Amino acid sequence: MIVLRVPGALEYRELATRVVTTACKLVRVSDGDKQTALEEEFTHEAVSAVGEAFNNVALHGYEDLPMGDIIFEVTTHEDRLVIDVKDFGHSFHPDDAPEPDLGELPESGMGLFIIRAFVDELTYEPGSPNCLRMVKRFEPRGKGATGSE
Amino acid sequence: MMFSKTVEGDVVRVEIKGQLDSMTAPDLRPSFEALAQERPHKVVLDLSGLRLIDSSGVGAIVSLFKQVRAAGGAFEVVGVQGQPRSIFQVLRLDRVFNIV
Repeated sequence: MIVLRVPGALEYRELATRVVTTACKLVRVSDGDKQTALEEEFTHEAVSAVGEAFNNVALHGYEDLPMGDIIFEVTTHEDRLVIDVKDFGHSFHPDDAPEPDLGELPESGMGLFIIRAFVDELTYEPGSPNCLRMVKRFEPRGKGATGSE
Repeated sequence: MMFSKTVEGDVVRVEIKGQLDSMTAPDLRPSFEALAQERPHKVVLDLSGLRLIDSSGVGAIVSLFKQVRAAGGAFEVVGVQGQPRSIFQVLRLDRVFNIV
C-alpha cells in the first residue's frame, strides 16, 4: 500500500496526482502470457478522479473548519486499483450531489460526475475520518462510461 | 501554468501550458475576462502543451467559450491530448469544441 498524508490545501493536490500516476506505472497486468503496463487512458482517468476528490475535500470538506489533512491510501490488487481518500472535514453524501446537465455547459459542479465516470465503484463512509473509496478495475469496463465508442 | 496570447489578424491565439486546475484556474480567469472584453472575431485555444486539467480548469475554458460566442465570435480548441482529452471527452466537450 502507498500512503500519502498531506494538508488539505490545494498546494498539495499535484503531489497526490503524482503519487497516483506513479502507482499506475508500477502496475503490471496480465495480457495473455505476458505482463503489460496499464494503458495511458487508465492513468489519465485515475489521476482525474483523484484530483477531483482532492478538490472536494480542499474546497468543501474543510470549509469553515481549521485545515485538516487528507490521507490517500493506494492499493493495487490483481485486478484493480483501490484508492481511499480520507479526511476529517465535513461529511457529504455523493448521492446528494446533483447530476450536471452537460448540455447546458456547466462551469462548476462537475467533479463528482468525473469521478463516477472514471471509476468502477464509488463508496463513501462518513465519519472521522470520512472515507471516499474509488475502485478502478484493470479490465476494460466496456460500458462506454468515458464517452468513448 | 503558462498563458500566452498572440494576435494574428482577426484571430487571437491563446496557448495554455502545464496544469490548469483548481490552483491555477483562478489566476487565469482575469486574463480570460480581459480577452472576452476585446470581443475577438475568433479565438483559437491551443492546448497542445496542457498536461493536466480538472473541472475548475474546464470551467474557466467554458466560461471564455460562452463569452466569446455570446459576442458573436468563433471559438476553436486545438491540440488536446492525454489527460485533458479524457476530461473533454467525458464532459462531451469534444463535441462542443469539435475536437478531432
